[in-house]
Amino acid sequence: MKILENLTKINRRYIFLMVAVAVIVPLIIPMNLPTIPGKYTIKLYDFIDKIPPQSQPVVIAADYSPSMMPELQPMLESIIRHCFAKKVRVIVLTLDPNGAALSEAALKKIAPEYDAVYGRDYAFLGFKPGSSIVMMSIGENIRQAFPADFYGKSLDSLPMMANVRNYADIPIVVSIAGSAITQSWIAYAGTRYHANVGSGCTAVSTADYYPFLQSGQLVGLLNGMKGASEYEYLNQKNGYSKAPRVAGKGMDAVSIVHLLLMAFIIIGNVGYLVARHNQSKKQGA
Amino acid sequence: MKRQIPLIIVLTLGIVFFIQFFIPSQISTNIYQTTLQWEIVISAFAIVLAIGSLINHHMLKIQRRKPHWWNSIVTLIAMLVMALLGILGRVEGMESLGQLYRTLFLYVQAPMDSAMFAILAFYMASAAYRAFRARSQEAALLLISGFIIMLGVVPFGSLLWSKIPDIAEWIMMVPNMAAKRGILFGVGLGMTATSLKIILGIERSWLGGGGK
Repeated sequence: MKILENLTKINRRYIFLMVAVAVIVPLIIPMNLPTIPGKYTIKLYDFIDKIPPQSQPVVIAADYSPSMMPELQPMLESIIRHCFAKKVRVIVLTLDPNGAALSEAALKKIAPEYDAVYGRDYAFLGFKPGSSIVMMSIGENIRQAFPADFYGKSLDSLPMMANVRNYADIPIVVSIAGSAITQSWIAYAGTRYHANVGSGCTAVSTADYYPFLQSGQLVGLLNGMKGASEYEYLNQKNGYSKAPRVAGKGMDAVSIVHLLLMAFIIIGNVGYLVARHNQSKKQGA
Repeated sequence: MKRQIPLIIVLTLGIVFFIQFFIPSQISTNIYQTTLQWEIVISAFAIVLAIGSLINHHMLKIQRRKPHWWNSIVTLIAMLVMALLGILGRVEGMESLGQLYRTLFLYVQAPMDSAMFAILAFYMASAAYRAFRARSQEAALLLISGFIIMLGVVPFGSLLWSKIPDIAEWIMMVPNMAAKRGILFGVGLGMTATSLKIILGIERSWLGGGGK
């Protein structure tokens, strides 16, 4: 019984060590766990999949900083790959000052894989301060918020922007964010200007977006690394991407860490219940 | 006057744009569009203020030799270097500085930022082990729900029992959403009330001085 009671006293250094092993080993030795795409990943994927090629562009708002990069960057890359493979035009912008370098890096990496041409197949608008004001400005005229792209070229000089004025010319806005900014996209782009909004968020904030899924205010939702992994899987399954599945690999580590966390919680509770039982026995005696 | 002018601006613009929303005329739309442009410019000033505040904070720390003041020097140098590289890198003929900025961001700042966030996983594991206890019926219920969700979002859940992801989905879609909706309604009503109080000048804490 003493051993069981001691279960509540595991040194935190051993816990840290075990978590480190649980993260590192699956990243070095991939387990290739099966991926079963969730309902809301499929909804977002199907929506983008049905956009006609060479038509109006999808807007991707990469509103995140490097701290959320492991979960959100694979989402951004997967959606860009999907669009480029389907010849769907893409506009990438960011309302987070840290997002510009991350999203530009993703575009520069992926565009050559699909021979995507800047200005014809994609445009990068960079960062603009103002958050909800920018969202509302795009609803009036995108040139009002972004007169020029990230490189200083006028939007009118980009052929793909010729018939793009506001949300009416944009089939969907996909907000990839680790903050509540997606709720602003829903409120301003979605509710006020009737744009379709999709979301990719960190796993911890997923719970916040379920009400918007049920109300139809969100077209679909990518749930953290799981959602990114599912999107990568769908891309590969449909032959849109041959790139290594970064989030898929990450999901192996996430899965093991989840099991480890559950094991710790069970161990902690067994120790706690035994200690409580012993204490009540002592008090009874 | 210092307090009255901002209050008058807020009251006037608050009422004007409240009415503007319901008048879809060209003049009204033009006013709205012009104001949106102004607001973007004003938002940019917020960044200037933030930079000023950051410099001020760290300069004071260095001047007063507060604990770990040398970290403030690193912060200020890093900020200055990144800002210069970012600005000069956009100038024609100095693109190599822009490349250096990207390299520093992607291979120095991004890994450091990610590493800081990753440390959370270790603390979460330790905290879950120590604090996540079935001390009451409610806590036990939370524990079970947490377990199902944790299993439901990883492939092991469906490997153990194919229904686990469905149960996890039900927890998210029904009990979780019921609670979230309540919170959202509360937040929405709170925002409306606060906005009205600000427009009408009842809530003045945004002027500074704790609403006095």
